[in-house]
Amino acid sequence: MKIITRILATTLISALPFASVMAGEALDRVMDKKLLKVATDANWAPQSFLNDKNEMDGFDVNVAQEVAKRLGVEIEFVTPAWDIITAGRWSGRWDLSIGSMTPTTERAKVLTFPAVYYYTPASFVVHKDSDAQQVSDLDGKKVGVTTASVHERYLQKDLTIDAEGVPNFDYEVDTDFIKSYQSSNVVLDDLRLGNGSRLDGALTSVPTINEAMKNNYPIKPLGKPVFFEPLALAIDKGDQEFNDRLAAIVAEMRADGTLSKLSQKWYNYDYTSTQ
Amino acid sequence: MNSVHKPDVAVETAVKPAVKPIVELKDVNKWYDDFHCLKDINLTVTPGERIVICGPSGSGKSTMIRCINRLEAHQSGEIIVDDVVLHEHMQGIDKVRSEVGMVFQSFNLFPHMTIAENCMAGPMWVQGVPKGEARRLAMKYLEQVRIPEQADKYPGQLSGGQQQRVAIARSLCMKPKLMLFDEPTSALDPEMVSGVLDTMIDLAKEGMTMLCVTHEMGFAREVADRVIFMADGEIVEENTPGEFFDNPREARTQQFLSQIL
Amino acid sequence: MQEARLLSKTPFVVALYAAFFVLLFLVDMSGTGFAELLAPAIGSDGEGSVYARFVTSVTLSAIITLGIWLIGKLQFNAQRVTVWLIMAGLFMLFFTSFDLSFEFIQSKIWFMVSQGILTTLYISVVSISIASVLAIIGAVAKLSSNGFANGLASFYTSFFRGLPLLMQVYLIYLGLPQLGFVIDAVPAGILALSLCYGAYMTEIFRAGIESIPKGQWEAARSIGFKFGLTMRRIILPQAIPLIIPPTGNQFIAMLKDSSLVSVIGVWELMFLARTLGQKDFKHMEMLITAAMLYWILSMVLEYAQSHIERRYRKG
Repeated sequence: MKIITRILATTLISALPFASVMAGEALDRVMDKKLLKVATDANWAPQSFLNDKNEMDGFDVNVAQEVAKRLGVEIEFVTPAWDIITAGRWSGRWDLSIGSMTPTTERAKVLTFPAVYYYTPASFVVHKDSDAQQVSDLDGKKVGVTTASVHERYLQKDLTIDAEGVPNFDYEVDTDFIKSYQSSNVVLDDLRLGNGSRLDGALTSVPTINEAMKNNYPIKPLGKPVFFEPLALAIDKGDQEFNDRLAAIVAEMRADGTLSKLSQKWYNYDYTSTQ
Repeated sequence: MNSVHKPDVAVETAVKPAVKPIVELKDVNKWYDDFHCLKDINLTVTPGERIVICGPSGSGKSTMIRCINRLEAHQSGEIIVDDVVLHEHMQGIDKVRSEVGMVFQSFNLFPHMTIAENCMAGPMWVQGVPKGEARRLAMKYLEQVRIPEQADKYPGQLSGGQQQRVAIARSLCMKPKLMLFDEPTSALDPEMVSGVLDTMIDLAKEGMTMLCVTHEMGFAREVADRVIFMADGEIVEENTPGEFFDNPREARTQQFLSQIL
Repeated sequence: MQEARLLSKTPFVVALYAAFFVLLFLVDMSGTGFAELLAPAIGSDGEGSVYARFVTSVTLSAIITLGIWLIGKLQFNAQRVTVWLIMAGLFMLFFTSFDLSFEFIQSKIWFMVSQGILTTLYISVVSISIASVLAIIGAVAKLSSNGFANGLASFYTSFFRGLPLLMQVYLIYLGLPQLGFVIDAVPAGILALSLCYGAYMTEIFRAGIESIPKGQWEAARSIGFKFGLTMRRIILPQAIPLIIPPTGNQFIAMLKDSSLVSVIGVWELMFLARTLGQKDFKHMEMLITAAMLYWILSMVLEYAQSHIERRYRKG
């Protein structure tokens, strides 16, 4: 389903090449209306979700609110499907995406990434009954990942991350049994069934693993994180001024500890650096 | 005038060359796909004439009168109604139709309108007559067909005979120069027929020009100036009612009459 | 009536019992909650044994057959009500087996109604209204002898009936801005639903209009009515009562299809169902609640629909 809609969205976009993105207007629009429209997912705790008061909440949401505050404008959230956000060409429907987006080369063709605001470590995870001691113990075993994710790319040994400040990494596992799933929840649901019943291990982001363990999934991380996934703000192409302004604000938030504080609040850990 | 069958006496009584005809059909042909349903029809109707058309079913008699207000289109020949030549792409066919009244076998009243509204529809929406005036007109003709008391009922509440009289009144409200009747009594229960025929006889006596497709031979004898007998898409015989019934010339006419009388 | 008579025949009842027995024996009910109730008879360690399977199958099929036999004794209306109650009960059992948190449902249900249902209804009502207008225009164009109008209308119905509604939602939301028309999610969703349902309803309207006897057209023409006047004054007033019942069905269908606009971020019922339970790992609660809300809404509308239908049938 996700894949289909993504293909659909991408096809549509490329089929209509005579688009006119309003160049350089984003910042003017935001400042004129005193309103920052932010696209984010409502379906991805703890980054962004609907809280008990049925309002948008989460790490990404708090970051967005802080950015709006520093721009001196009001904020409004819109929640289109992820594929629609990543497809680019927003036509001014919203100004900014703060949705933990990985700045891949493909996405950079349709979007601009003003700043990376945190890094999610990716880690292997196994059932708690597993006797695997280190990452390489999963060589030749059944490993689950989310379809079309950076994690799948890692297992396929075809991962390029070209953002600043991301440490180099090695491909530490060698297996042909990669099982791809539509969502990371299902990966862990299959893993919890028992050691080796459907999966011997999985590769996913550490916050996801922690969240599942908090909800009593019988799993444990294996070894150290294997790579760091940078996550960035994204804007439509064509407004350098807006790009610079956002980059400055994120740098400021990093420098004064705001980002670290928010990361601690939502993840109990500081993911704003790769240290 | 094509007819070799036509006796001189009929020509003398029916055609008065001094008067301009109101309807003229000249060599009219019509096909439904391969079926040749009207073959070289020639007919002239002068104002005030009452013509009865009869013939076996499928003989083309209904088709012929439906061509006169262009509910059907003919493919060759010429049809002229009140100086207007009917043809494809013509403007103002609606005006011609509003001057030619038509009464159908199945009444075709508008079931969602009252009797009075049925009669008022044409005057109000086609001729732009104000509502009050249209109502007066409707009542006048409903009185003429002798059912004014039904004015505010709906068609479904009336008997077939009453409905057909309403249909006649509805046509009269347009003050037509010519009335076409397409088997007006065929769908009626026998006891309803005479009421409708009486209305038609009244109309004939007032001098209305009428073309009636009907098998009511009593009506034909009483009011018709001419009787036309059609078979297989052709006009087979054209005669005065007296000659037609008592002394038919054509074999096909004789056979037909022996079947219906 | 047929079943009632069948059920009074002993061979049929025995055959029914045997069929249930075989089915249940094959499915093996010995591991279920029902078998636990029979623990005194089969012993608690009997799970999976042939004896346990046999006892549970014998008992359960006896209960089911007896139930069917008893229902067979009832009058039609009583049968209906009983079957509904039993089915509803089974559904409740099925749902409670998920160990749902009713507290969580309670805390979210008002928001699902006030935000979700309201948006769903709003979108559906506006869309069906626009779709009806499109359908009238489409139907008239399809029936007209004008080749241009007919071509346009048949292209329209063919295109919008030929594409999946989800694709139309994307086409309109993503495609229109490329032509310079930037519209928000709600209007885009309404536009997609209107165009799609307008295409389906064009056929309904066309059939309704065509079901008016030809004599009505001829009578109207013979007193000088033009096409438009005939349509407006004679044909549509008679066709609309025929069109309203199937349009009601379309509305009920649209209510559910409107869930597709959740992909462009409209906060209607489906969107909330997918979103609200996410953080607390309670998706089942929200999905089932939304399912119930859709169902209730449909039942209410079906009830209204049957009333409207009865009224027009009389008229």
